[in-house]
Amino acid sequence: MPIDAVVAAFWDIFNLHTLALMAIGSVAGLVAGAIPGFTIAMAVVLTLPFTFGMPPAQGLATMIGVFVGGLSGGLMSGILIGVPGTPSSVATVFDGFPMARKGRPGLALGLGVWASFFGGIVSAVVLVTLAPPLAKIGLEFQPWDYFSLVLFALTITVSLAGKSMVKGLLSGALGLFLATVGEYDLNGVARFTLDSDYLRGGFAFLPVLIGLFAFSQLLADVMDTATARKAMTDLTATSVRIEHRKAAFEVLKRWGNLLRSSLIGVFVGILPAAGGSISNILAYDQAKKASRDPDSFGTGVEDGIIAPESANNATAGGALITMMALGIPGDIVTAVMLGALLIHDVVPSPKFIVEQPQLAYAIFIAYFFANFMVLGLQSVTLRAFVLVTKVRMYMLTAVILAYCGIGVFALHNSVSDMWTLLIFGIVGFIMRTMGFPLAPMILGVVLGPIAERWLARAVTISTDPLLFVTHPWSLFFLVLCLFSLFFPFYQRDYGKRTWTRLYTPALMVGMAVPLVMMGGWVRPVIAAGLVAFGLYVLSRPPGQALPTLKE
Amino acid sequence: MGLSRRDTIAALVLLAFTGAAFWLSFDIQTRNDGTMRASVWPQTILSVMMVLGVVYLVQSLRGTLVESVADGDRPVVAGNWLQRYKNPILCLLLYFAFLATLPVLGVLIGGILLVFLTMTLIGGAGPRELVTHALVAAATIGGMWAIFTFALRVILPEGMILPMIIGR
Repeated sequence: MPIDAVVAAFWDIFNLHTLALMAIGSVAGLVAGAIPGFTIAMAVVLTLPFTFGMPPAQGLATMIGVFVGGLSGGLMSGILIGVPGTPSSVATVFDGFPMARKGRPGLALGLGVWASFFGGIVSAVVLVTLAPPLAKIGLEFQPWDYFSLVLFALTITVSLAGKSMVKGLLSGALGLFLATVGEYDLNGVARFTLDSDYLRGGFAFLPVLIGLFAFSQLLADVMDTATARKAMTDLTATSVRIEHRKAAFEVLKRWGNLLRSSLIGVFVGILPAAGGSISNILAYDQAKKASRDPDSFGTGVEDGIIAPESANNATAGGALITMMALGIPGDIVTAVMLGALLIHDVVPSPKFIVEQPQLAYAIFIAYFFANFMVLGLQSVTLRAFVLVTKVRMYMLTAVILAYCGIGVFALHNSVSDMWTLLIFGIVGFIMRTMGFPLAPMILGVVLGPIAERWLARAVTISTDPLLFVTHPWSLFFLVLCLFSLFFPFYQRDYGKRTWTRLYTPALMVGMAVPLVMMGGWVRPVIAAGLVAFGLYVLSRPPGQALPTLKE
Repeated sequence: MGLSRRDTIAALVLLAFTGAAFWLSFDIQTRNDGTMRASVWPQTILSVMMVLGVVYLVQSLRGTLVESVADGDRPVVAGNWLQRYKNPILCLLLYFAFLATLPVLGVLIGGILLVFLTMTLIGGAGPRELVTHALVAAATIGGMWAIFTFALRVILPEGMILPMIIGR
């Protein structure tokens, strides 16, 4: 670890200006997370325009503050009124709300706050220890491997995005296509420009992103006039005080649950496109299975709050690992962060940590410190959440609509970006109402140019398509692509069809083959372990397979 | 309109769009500069889209699409379609007007009007609401305008009216 880069990164974060921005970001994230229907990704997207003029480390630190704040803020409304602020706090409601109704809202909030904090710290430690070695593996990648990696990121996004695989795939493909509009990166040839100056430059990524995601969400939020006119909650903060000391003690007493749930969160975060909305439910389920008294879950038990809250905060660290070590976004939030990096001419790739050590360490430090900052701010700003959640949705929508426009203009000082926002707001709204998942499209827009660049390099070196399967890492990712495409069918048929019994063993063997091809002794040993695990799963009686995402 | 029929229409629109884009892709210039042809990647994506579009169309015709969407659970008939999407359409029209009048009204005045009108048309126009909406619109847009103009040094479009008001 180059110490001078760490020291420089430390000073990038620990100066009054950056700390103040991080604090503002954390409060904004906490408030946004507390508002039902206002997702963390949307909060991070809306933070972007403010970060354009900042140095990269400062901008990313601000966004990390929003990210961590948002993950923690979701528990407030979930515990106090039974409506999760964000999808990543859904499972917190199962026990948080009953505990609050039993007259212990302070303890319920405290458990959530401290579990979030410890979950974040565990994932920060994993981030610091795992990202650099993973990035070293990334340095082995050649153009074929990069291309297959991007394909894998897209297919797993699709497989986790919704029930209709075809809609997810179409959404991803549409995103990839949109990214081709404009001049070709390599030689400036115009594509699909219709001789228009507006299209010649291509669609700027951020107006597309804000339009698809934030603008369309706002339109959906005001569809029902009666709901739009209501205050978002009837919350009152008259007598709620977070019981910090007792809660911290209770969380640490249940360290096994805390550690397991945090590691589940990190693992889910590392998977491209799988976020806190999955990890919190998975961790809750595992905590319930591991409990001596599983029937008590749902009645207001401590473990039922600790598991989802530690997992959803730990997911952030996992998503950052994928972004920093492999240069691909782990979820929409990290896709936005990659967009922010591109604005500052920092091209995300597996070489990121090696080429930009100061910025990489600044991200580590900012993420680590953001957890402390959010812990401190959470109790101070409890009353602010209550006030904000009393605002009527239509007011919030009107103000944020205008803000989206102004923020997008600030990107290139261009009114055409505001039109792009409007166009993609409409596209996003239509896709939402038609049941198309937006995450694959957004990742398609981000990953499309990266995929094309690596494909072009691969084809320039050799036009032999077999190289995509003879390069071990490329084959490894293609195997994962194939299995991620079958994952929705596996989920659907699990326990009903016999072929699902072969899914995990076949995946293990499929991953083992390229690992053996890589040579050396460590990877073949890992391959042998994978095959052994596959055989073990196969040998178990039907219906007793090891826990999976499905369960 | 049932969900499956809407899917059929969407699939047809998507196929038409893909076909048009494919046709346009043949106009992409080819340069012999040793790099991958500029049309290869878009045509690959469009081929995939075409196949997926056909699958989507077949699924919608056979009624095998399982996705349940927020507003797709209840059938939408032509009569209440406008009623259902009234607010989003209103927001879009106001936003369109905001952009179209930007050269005249600028961000500050146009933004205040956008927020005020959006709030009033969706939230109601009683005397108390009007005052609240006006105050919220002026405070939020004024605040944002000040942050972007003075703190972030972004030169937002000022239009023609604001310079006349402040005497420039």
